[in-house]
Amino acid sequence: MVEAMVDRPASPADIANPALYLDGIPHAGFTAIREAEGLVWHSYGATAASGFWVVTRHAEVREVSKDPEVFSSAIGHTNLWDLEADALEARRSLIDSDAPDHTRLRRVVSRVFTPKATRSWEDTTRRIASELVDGFVERGGGDWVEQVAAPLPIRVILAILGVPEEDADYLVELTDHLVEGTGDRPSLPDDAYGNITPVRLLPFNSPASHALFEYGEKMRGLRLAEPADDLVTGLVQAEVDGECLTSAEYKNFFQLLVFAGNETTRTAIAHGGMAFADHPEQWRAMVSDPGLVTTAVDEVIRWATPVLHMRRTASRDTELAGTPIAAGDKVVMWYAAANRDPDAFCDPFQFDVGRTENPHFAFGGGGPHFCLGAFLARMEIQVLLEEMVKRGVSLERQGEPERIASNFVHGVASVDLAVA
Amino acid sequence: MQVRTGGDDRVGLSVDEDRCIGIGQCELLEPEVFQLGDEDAISRVVDGAGLPRARALEVADRCPSSAISVAELPGV
Repeated sequence: MVEAMVDRPASPADIANPALYLDGIPHAGFTAIREAEGLVWHSYGATAASGFWVVTRHAEVREVSKDPEVFSSAIGHTNLWDLEADALEARRSLIDSDAPDHTRLRRVVSRVFTPKATRSWEDTTRRIASELVDGFVERGGGDWVEQVAAPLPIRVILAILGVPEEDADYLVELTDHLVEGTGDRPSLPDDAYGNITPVRLLPFNSPASHALFEYGEKMRGLRLAEPADDLVTGLVQAEVDGECLTSAEYKNFFQLLVFAGNETTRTAIAHGGMAFADHPEQWRAMVSDPGLVTTAVDEVIRWATPVLHMRRTASRDTELAGTPIAAGDKVVMWYAAANRDPDAFCDPFQFDVGRTENPHFAFGGGGPHFCLGAFLARMEIQVLLEEMVKRGVSLERQGEPERIASNFVHGVASVDLAVA
Repeated sequence: MQVRTGGDDRVGLSVDEDRCIGIGQCELLEPEVFQLGDEDAISRVVDGAGLPRARALEVADRCPSSAISVAELPGV
């Protein structure tokens, strides 16, 4: 570890190196950090000051989430690295904003993602899930990510956005490149997809963001000419407080919805498939009591914790866990650690489909940035599990998954599962 | 026969519409008490609805945008 700053206790474990995540979440390291007194400081980047406070306990993740005035999303960035002011402005989305901007942007889309609105997509989701599960069974299994985990959420979010389903593969390809952008090295040359924007101005520093922006612009043109009953039309016609979304706001919104609407739920389904393959007794319990599907959904989501962390930046001097924090310090909430905190979960390392007390933070720590698509993700996973239970499909492992080298998303590139 | 004694411990609730961002956690937890507007997704409390105090405090605490507050019911 690089030396800590004066008076800042150094983290007992490295949890930031993306390569660590090729072997899964470094839970032993997180446990050591969670058990340390107060908060610890993790080195990151070029200077001692560019490190971050590691927040791993459930109670403190919640405290940070619920106090957005002190722990800002708009300062610096919500990823580990800082962005320069122009890049931050060019890339600003719902995620990297505080009230009142956050409130304004969120209200543009909130009605589409309420529990009630989400239920209106259940039939569409069931049709897609049935088709995918039937295909997987017919083939006797295969890559669970490619065949089920990836196509289900992208097809649902594209239906909601109003984007043609035949473009799903292309958009999955683009968002996969964005995930790679959180790893150690860029996967694409800067000019991929005809990009001419400096990549530091693009989400995830990825030229694939340029391609997503272009695609979003094309959709915007189509819906401006011919409005439809879909979310892209909602975005292009949105007026909040008498103002339309700016062009940059629209592009970032489109990018965020396509990315967050598929990568996260895909990751949950990927880990869910593996968890049921690894814990066949849990699968049998759910098959014999399908009433357990509801609690199983949240357990799959806790188990997966698709987004491993989000960062906040202290807007003023403050204190957390008895540790003084200076204005400008990075404070990083590791949901992956909070979701295994024994003070919040009974037997946190057990995958338990009957877990009734499950206050997990896979949708964020309970503050205003609570996942916009939480109810949609839950509904998609619920429908998928119901369709599998109905067909008596159980899964078996066929080897190790290929994981993504990222400390930000708990990504699985592929995992072979067989139908038992 | 169980005699209901908790009646006087019921409280009302209110939503700060400027803070509400339409997440819907409240409606999911207590659909008889909170309803999100179809057009604006802002949560509103159903007229006359209340909850036992402990539950009301829990629901208020679980609002991600801290928009819910507990209020005494009129006439209590």
